[in-house]
Amino acid sequence: MADEEETNEYRWESGYEKTWEAIKEDDDGLLESNVAEIVARAKRKRAALKATGAIQLGMMRHLFVVIDASECMFLQDLKPTRFLCVLKLLELFVHEFFDLNPISQLGILTTKVKRSEQVSALAGNQKKHIEALQQMKDTSCEGEPSLQNSLERAMNGLKNMPAHSSREVLVLFGSLTTCDPGDIQKTIKSLKENNIRVSIIGLAAEVRICREIAKRTGGTYNVLLDDHHLKELILNQVQPPAVAGSMEASLVKMGFPGGKPGSSDGASDSAADHAPAYCLCHIENETSCLMGNNSGYNCPQCGSRYCELPVECKQCGLTLVSAPHLARSYHHLFPIKPFIERTEVPEMTHCFACAKPFGELDPNVYECENCNQIVCLDCDLFIRETLHTCPGCASDPITAQMKTN
Amino acid sequence: MEDKEERIETPLVAIVIDATPAKKFASQAIIDNGSTMMNRIFDALIGFGNAHLMQGSHNKLAVIACNSKSTKFLYPSENGDSKSYHNRPGQYDMFAKVDSDIRHGLSELILKDSIDHDSTTSDSLLGGAMARALCHIHKIQRELSLSHQLKPRILVVSGSSDSALQYMTFMNVFFTAQKENVVIDCCMMDSDSGLLQQGCDITGGQYLRIPTVVGLLEYLLWVFLPGPSCRSKIVLPPPTKVDYRAACFCHHKLVDIGWVCSVCLSIFCKFSIICTTCNTEFKLNRPAIVPSKPKKRPRME
Repeated sequence: MADEEETNEYRWESGYEKTWEAIKEDDDGLLESNVAEIVARAKRKRAALKATGAIQLGMMRHLFVVIDASECMFLQDLKPTRFLCVLKLLELFVHEFFDLNPISQLGILTTKVKRSEQVSALAGNQKKHIEALQQMKDTSCEGEPSLQNSLERAMNGLKNMPAHSSREVLVLFGSLTTCDPGDIQKTIKSLKENNIRVSIIGLAAEVRICREIAKRTGGTYNVLLDDHHLKELILNQVQPPAVAGSMEASLVKMGFPGGKPGSSDGASDSAADHAPAYCLCHIENETSCLMGNNSGYNCPQCGSRYCELPVECKQCGLTLVSAPHLARSYHHLFPIKPFIERTEVPEMTHCFACAKPFGELDPNVYECENCNQIVCLDCDLFIRETLHTCPGCASDPITAQMKTN
Repeated sequence: MEDKEERIETPLVAIVIDATPAKKFASQAIIDNGSTMMNRIFDALIGFGNAHLMQGSHNKLAVIACNSKSTKFLYPSENGDSKSYHNRPGQYDMFAKVDSDIRHGLSELILKDSIDHDSTTSDSLLGGAMARALCHIHKIQRELSLSHQLKPRILVVSGSSDSALQYMTFMNVFFTAQKENVVIDCCMMDSDSGLLQQGCDITGGQYLRIPTVVGLLEYLLWVFLPGPSCRSKIVLPPPTKVDYRAACFCHHKLVDIGWVCSVCLSIFCKFSIICTTCNTEFKLNRPAIVPSKPKKRPRME
């Protein structure tokens, strides 16, 4: 088992950790309250770890997922086989990734028989990737993986991406060996020069070269403990990473289709905008979808029709998004400060957010610094993980106004 | 084969009432049988709430009101103290409780507002009320046993127009509702609200702007009482085309093509050297001018 910081020793180097001493019985000989307390504390610790200040995050991400499809993925230590378990979790990952990073792009590669293949190209369309993953269930796993080949292929794909985007590779590596044609140190060097961050999730045991790649490119390397841990590790990659430092910022031109038909700038609104037309996203398929009068979105620059957003216009190259797509990432920029933990306050008998009366099961209550409203533990976790807005601050006329400093 | 372990469907409706007194209604004091317009609106809402509770024994209701100063849980009543109520003989006890809690809560809210005579007319705190509704729904979801399946929805009844400064709160609420499978419906009385239209579209709810406030109860019962599962079988008002354009951060006007900062995702209508939100300098992407080439290329703008 590996530790995350390199300064710590490995578990097998330090002494025994007597984990059974953490659980104590209370006066009646029951363990329930103790267990509940440990669970609550673990919940809060996890939430607190995520609460970081306003650091620069890479919002536009171009991520390649490399799936190891070698022989060892047929082992059944993860049910039903490692390969199928990984595919299932990746479907969930793709869904969450596009949910949280709507303007990012994802690509999928596999590696087997000492080569690497591309399963789906770098694209922002969720359905295509999920279909590709579902079709992969039938492929056989054979041969040996090649780390260098897959990293080289990912690098070729990411090299030409604009400088302001965050370039990442996620490798799901289940083998303990790799079969490379050349010197992998050269590959690591060129990965670093191109600002590509490689994160690896090991499915078997820790492999030294993986740790070196992750460390030198600025990514993370984790080895899973069981399938729940694997899910957690994969879903951790959904969050946008902190900027590596040398990412250039630039203004990207984007189009926002979907204005009202009777919009004020009548010059751009012609009859052709509402006529039935074929959408450009499916035009190469035989069953191209015919868009009716008011369905679909028109590119504001060239007028071509698309069925769904976000998409990159094939004709003029403009990225088309809708305002909610960008708004999904705004909560990272205005994070809520962690709430202060207090023991019960006598005058507030109910949680402000959910109107639950405070009882014996709530030893601690949480107060927001800005609005001084008290919420219970569950609401605190809900606000922090899902809602991203403090209801107290939103209910106070002074703090409800959006701060854009 | 019938599934013997069917989960009991528990629809939960959270009504969010925007009680910001509109000047239009204040002047229109008495109509019909001596009741004011505000009274009629509140009567309609209580009637709707009771109608929902009547649909099934497990149905749940929550009512939250807001104005420009604060938000308040009307039912279940906020600090657990519900005033004593008298139910008419033969009236279901719960209806009388709902009626009394809502009326008392609303009167307290409105009186509190009129006491502090603040001349600044700030926007209604609808975002905060919806956030509290979501926390309440989340709590009920946690507390419900596994044999019940919660089907939550939020009904927003409002007469105020959009508040650009609460954009973040609204968007967070909509995305959370989408994630938690909460449908947001909206009944607008006087003006249109682009933000709420977007919210209804994102969560799959119904948006309706009613032409006359006098018929509020009728609209509520016909359009908003059926849950999302049976809405496909009913002919409802057609969905409006939502304006998904973004507003630029510098002038707050809607743009078709904008420039987006890659660091903080703020939108600008014109290309500029520095981002005003995150203060990052931008690298100019223009190609270097090569003096030896004589021909002029048209600038792509």
